[in-house]
Amino acid sequence: MVAVLIALSFIMFYLARGLLPPTTALAPFITPKMNDVEKLALAQSLGVATASCPSYGAFSTQVAGCIVPLWGQYIGWLHQIISGNWGYTLLPGIAGTQTTWNVFWARFPYTAELAIGASILTILIGFPLGIISATHNNKPPDHVSRVIALGGYSLPQFWFAAILQVVFVLDLTVRGAGIFPGSGSLSTTCGICVGNIGTIHAYTGMPVVDSILSGNLAYFWDALVALILPALTLAVTSIGALTRIIRSSMLESLRQDYVLLARSKGLKERVVVYRHALRNAILPAVTISGLLVAFFLGGAVVIEDVFSWPGVGSTAVAAISVVDVNFIELYTLVTALIIVVANLAVDIIYAKVDPRIRYT
Amino acid sequence: MTVERDEESRPEEGARRASDIRFSLHLLRSNPLVVAGIIISVGTLVLSATSGFIVNSGSWQHYQPELGLCWNNPVINWGFKNIFNCGGKVYTLGTDLKGRDLLSMIILAIPTDVEIALEVVASAVAIGVVFGAVAGYAGGLLDEFILRLTDVFLSIPVILLALVLVVVLEAKGLPVSLSLLTLALVVTWWPVYVRLVRSQVLSEKERPYVESLRAMGASRTRILFLHVIPNSIYPLLVQATLDIGSVILTVSALIFIGLTPNPYYPELGNLVNMGIQHLAIAPWLVIFPGLTIFIISLGFNLLGDGIRDVFDPRLRR
Repeated sequence: MVAVLIALSFIMFYLARGLLPPTTALAPFITPKMNDVEKLALAQSLGVATASCPSYGAFSTQVAGCIVPLWGQYIGWLHQIISGNWGYTLLPGIAGTQTTWNVFWARFPYTAELAIGASILTILIGFPLGIISATHNNKPPDHVSRVIALGGYSLPQFWFAAILQVVFVLDLTVRGAGIFPGSGSLSTTCGICVGNIGTIHAYTGMPVVDSILSGNLAYFWDALVALILPALTLAVTSIGALTRIIRSSMLESLRQDYVLLARSKGLKERVVVYRHALRNAILPAVTISGLLVAFFLGGAVVIEDVFSWPGVGSTAVAAISVVDVNFIELYTLVTALIIVVANLAVDIIYAKVDPRIRYT
Repeated sequence: MTVERDEESRPEEGARRASDIRFSLHLLRSNPLVVAGIIISVGTLVLSATSGFIVNSGSWQHYQPELGLCWNNPVINWGFKNIFNCGGKVYTLGTDLKGRDLLSMIILAIPTDVEIALEVVASAVAIGVVFGAVAGYAGGLLDEFILRLTDVFLSIPVILLALVLVVVLEAKGLPVSLSLLTLALVVTWWPVYVRLVRSQVLSEKERPYVESLRAMGASRTRILFLHVIPNSIYPLLVQATLDIGSVILTVSALIFIGLTPNPYYPELGNLVNMGIQHLAIAPWLVIFPGLTIFIISLGFNLLGDGIRDVFDPRLRR
């Protein structure tokens, strides 16, 4: 697990340092007042320039013997980030004023909230669809639910988001019934207003949760409405995976002898399906539900971008365009960590839910 | 005596296999969704192959700004008066900002996306078969290494890795091009196939037929490539069919968020991106290219889903 993270960080590091000029490494630390001597000292302290490098000019033009080999740079970089020194952000508008670490964690709750909202929607829609599909196997309800599931899976997210915005935002506003904000996490404010949370106290950084904790209902409604469209877009595109798994495992368990027994005992069909078949079919669904949150945390890049959602995904896109390497590294590592931990958690839940599974 | 038995069993075997295939085709035909999938995906491939004959492939560079953003197809009424002049010609799906016929642009754009999808999936399958077979068959340290490598790649969001790759290579002096995007997607797509082939090989190699082949003295490579892999072809086929749809979605999303070689190039994501600025006055520019992506992707997904059901022994009765 740790090995995966280290390998990942090295791959990203190689892409950034091995292929881009060495001055990229200094960018998060340079202040406008620095002269070349200070810049060279900085490069040496970061482990990018060798101690024998004569001048900053020689360093930036990559004179032979001036640049530390890539492995050495990696060790130096690892040392920096383990001591928590990610440097300042290069994002336009706030460049040099905030640390990468703070920017990331201020925006992460927005992504988390979007992911949680989308997971709840996915489970609420996906479970019933999968069950209906299985109990009406190869009949019209099955076809309809499979089309919905596959259709969602085949939807281009960015396009669906745009259409939703047109239908709900532009159209409803024209008719005087507009409730959905087109972009951003709050319907009344701008997209990126992380520090300015208005009248609620920032307990978690997630607007919906915070407004409940602060007892501010108006704010809660506002934040919830803003969340619906992006969360729906994210959910619709992943319902298919959940429905498919539930359908096939339900089909399997409906064919078992105990279901036949339950039916011949004269139990109601509803009891047979929900109490007997579903309970035994739920395990694979647990796996996929657990992975959904992780998938959403990483997969929201495009949706956040389209809805101008101030989460880490849209920030990562912005960071890529200004080659803010440290932000991308932080984003990738945290996302990967979440995915790896989610996988582990699913394994543990699996063993808890199904006593037949033993890990030795 | 063995020769005799062989001759006896062969026609029987052939007949069984033929009836098996016939039954599979019957299953495929009997499901209307699969039929729809077959029609859409075959139609898409045919259209991609012939689009150069239907529309002049250079016409996307033929700009007529004076005919821009017009709509005069009476079938759909957008609910607002179109103020732009169509110059007396009827455009089935309207025109874009540069006055190009949107329908022709979509027809030109389909092969771009389909070609990238086919290239990415074919390369990923090739890499997957080689590494997955080696990992599954060799086992041990090599297996562990390949598996951890796929772990690394699977824990990064595909879009992000592709984005980083393209931007870094662009900073390195390579202009954004469709082949660069294809390369970035291949780099992010192969691990799925390695996993898939590996798990297939692991389950196949314990089967009795592999044991008897080994007893007969067949070499490892022979068993692997002539017996084990052909027997694992169906899951691979299903995954590849489903992935054609996914690659089209991913590549159009990447181009949509800005990795475009030319903002007016006919590619479906590019067309949506171009239209999104004029969403309020020319909604067709967003609706139809996006709908095309959706239909193509849905077609391949329906087909893949259908193949999966037909060849899944658990669902086959």
